[in-house]
Amino acid sequence: MLLLLGKNPFEAYRSILQGAGILPKTRYAGKKSQLTDFMSLLNYTTPMIFAALSVAVALKSGIFNICVSGIMVFSGFIATILVGYSSLAPIIAKPLVVLIGVVAGGLIGVLIGYLRHRFNMNEVVVAIMLNYIISYVVSFFIQTRFVDPITRQSVEVGQNARLTLFDYPIMNLKMEINLVFPLALITVFLIRYFITRTRFGFELQAVGLNSKASNYAGINVGKTVITTMLISGSLAGLAGVSYYLGSNASIQPRVLPALGFDSIAVALLGNTSAIGSFFASLLVMIFDSGTTYMSSRMQVLREIAALITSILLLFSAIGIFFRALANRYAREVEEV
Amino acid sequence: MDSIIIEGIAFSIPLFIIAIGGIYSEGSGVINLALEGLLGFGAFAGGLSYALLSSVITGNPLLLIYASLAFAMVGGALLASLHALMCIKFKANQVISGVVINMLSVALTAFLANQINASVFGQPSNKFLLEIFPKVTVPLLSKIPILGAVFTDLYTFVPIIVVIALIMAYILYKTPFGMHIRACGDNPHAVAAAGGNVMKIRFISVLVSGALAGLGGMCFAYSISTTFSPNIYMGFGYLAIAAYIFGSWKISRTFLACILFGFARSAGYVLVQKLELPSSYGDLVLTLPYIVTLVLLLFFSSKTKAPKALGDVYE
Repeated sequence: MLLLLGKNPFEAYRSILQGAGILPKTRYAGKKSQLTDFMSLLNYTTPMIFAALSVAVALKSGIFNICVSGIMVFSGFIATILVGYSSLAPIIAKPLVVLIGVVAGGLIGVLIGYLRHRFNMNEVVVAIMLNYIISYVVSFFIQTRFVDPITRQSVEVGQNARLTLFDYPIMNLKMEINLVFPLALITVFLIRYFITRTRFGFELQAVGLNSKASNYAGINVGKTVITTMLISGSLAGLAGVSYYLGSNASIQPRVLPALGFDSIAVALLGNTSAIGSFFASLLVMIFDSGTTYMSSRMQVLREIAALITSILLLFSAIGIFFRALANRYAREVEEV
Repeated sequence: MDSIIIEGIAFSIPLFIIAIGGIYSEGSGVINLALEGLLGFGAFAGGLSYALLSSVITGNPLLLIYASLAFAMVGGALLASLHALMCIKFKANQVISGVVINMLSVALTAFLANQINASVFGQPSNKFLLEIFPKVTVPLLSKIPILGAVFTDLYTFVPIIVVIALIMAYILYKTPFGMHIRACGDNPHAVAAAGGNVMKIRFISVLVSGALAGLGGMCFAYSISTTFSPNIYMGFGYLAIAAYIFGSWKISRTFLACILFGFARSAGYVLVQKLELPSSYGDLVLTLPYIVTLVLLLFFSSKTKAPKALGDVYE
C-alpha cells in the first residue's frame, strides 16, 4: 500500500519503530531522546492496557462489554469535576483520582451486569445505549459549566490531579512519566492470577462457557455476572482516569474515545488473556504512536496511521484461520 | 407537531433500511457489528461518485443524486464482502471482524477522502459536497389532518427505501431463498443436509446487508449535512443494531423501533426550540431515544429471541 504511494515500505517500518522509541532516531529535539519517546509510548499505552483487560475479563464470562468508551468518559468526568478542579495536595489528589475511577467505573459495570441478569437485557444494547446517554449528558454538563472557550473542551485539570508527569526532569532529559503504568502491570498479573487460580475465576469461566450447566452445578450465575461486570467496569474506569487525567487533560464533548472500541479488537487479538492483552496493547500502540512520526517524516497523510493499525488487526483476526489450517495439516500428517 | 413527523421520518427511514441490512446478516447467522463502518463507507462511495460524476453528468441533478445512491450501495456491499470473506471464508471471530471493519472504514475513508481531494480536485479537504436531496409534497394526501405531515416535504428517498424495504421483507419471509437465509441462522447443518450451500447463502446475506447499510448511510449524508465527511460516523450503525435487537430480529417490529427512535429524537429537538433553551440542551434531548429504549427494554426484553446459530462458525 505504501508502495502505491511511491514510498519505501521498509523505511516506513523503521520510522514507525523510531517514532515509538524502540529504535534511535537520527535527530532529537533538545532534552529529548529515545528514552523519552519510549516513556511517552508507555504513557499512551497505559489506558489501552486497562481497557483491553476490561474487555477481556468480561469476555471470559461471556459478556461483550462494548461500554468501555462510555465508562471511560463517565469516570474521567467524575474524577475531573471532583478532584481535577480542586486544590488538594498531589499526594492525596492522585490516589483519589484512581479510587474515583475504580468506583465510578464499577458502578456502571454493576448496572450493566444487573440489568442483564435481572431483566435478561442484551448487554450489547444496554451498553450502546449507556454509551450515548453518558456521552451526551457529560457533554451537556461540560458545555454549560466547564467549557474552555478557546479549545471548546472541558477546562484542563490541575497538575496536582494528573496521573502523568510531563516534562519531568530526569538525567537531563524531559520525560513523561505515567504514574499508573506500574499499577497497570500489577493489574495484569492480578487479573491473570484471579482468573486462572481462584475459585471465582473458575466460576467466571464456567459461566462464560455454559451458563446453564454452571447454574446446574450450583454456581450463582447472577452473582458471577454482576461481579465480573464490577471488575470489568472498574478496569474501564481506570482506563478512563488514566486517559482523561493522564495522557490527556481535558474531555472533548460529544466524543467517545476510539480507544474504548479499539480495545475490543486488542483484547481479542490478545486471545482474551491478561498477558496477551498487555502485549497486544503494546503492539497496537507502537504502531499508533510510531506512525505519527513516520507520516511526518515520509510526507504521507497522518490518517495512514489508523489505516495501518486497522489492517494489522484485520490480518491478526484472520491469523486464527491460518493457525487452524496449520493444526489441521499437522493432524493429517499424524494420521498418515 | 408537523415538524416532529417530518424530521422523525427523515431520520427513522434510513435507520430502518440499515437495520434491515442487519437483520439479513444476523438472520443468516453472521453477527454484523460492522454496520457503522458499512454505512460510512457506502456514504463515502456515494459522495465520491457524486463528486466524480458531477463533471460528466451535467444538467440533470436528479440522475446524479440517484446514481450516487446506487454507488453507495455498491460501496457498502464492497466493504461487506470483506466482512463476509473474513467471517465465512477465513472463519475469523465475527465480533472482532465487525469491530475491525468499523476501524478500517473510518481510517480508510478519512485517508482516501483526503488523498483524492488533494490529488484529483486539488484542494485540501476531507469532505465531498452534495446537493440537497429533492423533497416532494404529495398533493392530496398531505391535506389529511396530522397524518398529512407524513406526505409533506418528504425526501424522495423515503418512498424508495419503503419500496426496497417491502421487497426485502417479501424476500425474507415469503420466498424459498428467504427461508434458506433464516434457516442458516437457526440451524446451518440442516440447510447443508437439505442440499443448500450455507456459505453462499451467508455470503449473499452479508452483501445485501452492506448494500442496504450503504444506502441508508448515503441518505443520512444527504439529509443531515449534505456533505460526506468523517462526521458520518455518529453511531447510527450502533443505533440500527439496537433497533433490530429491540425488534427481536423481525422486520415489522424493527420498523416500529426505528420510528420510535426517530420520533423521540425529533420531538426532543422541537421541544428545545419551543422552550427556547440554549443549544447545549440539545445534548440532553439526544439522550431521549436511548433512555426510551432502555426503559422499554426493561419490560419487553425477556421475549427477545436471537437467531439460534448467531455467531457460530460453519465448517
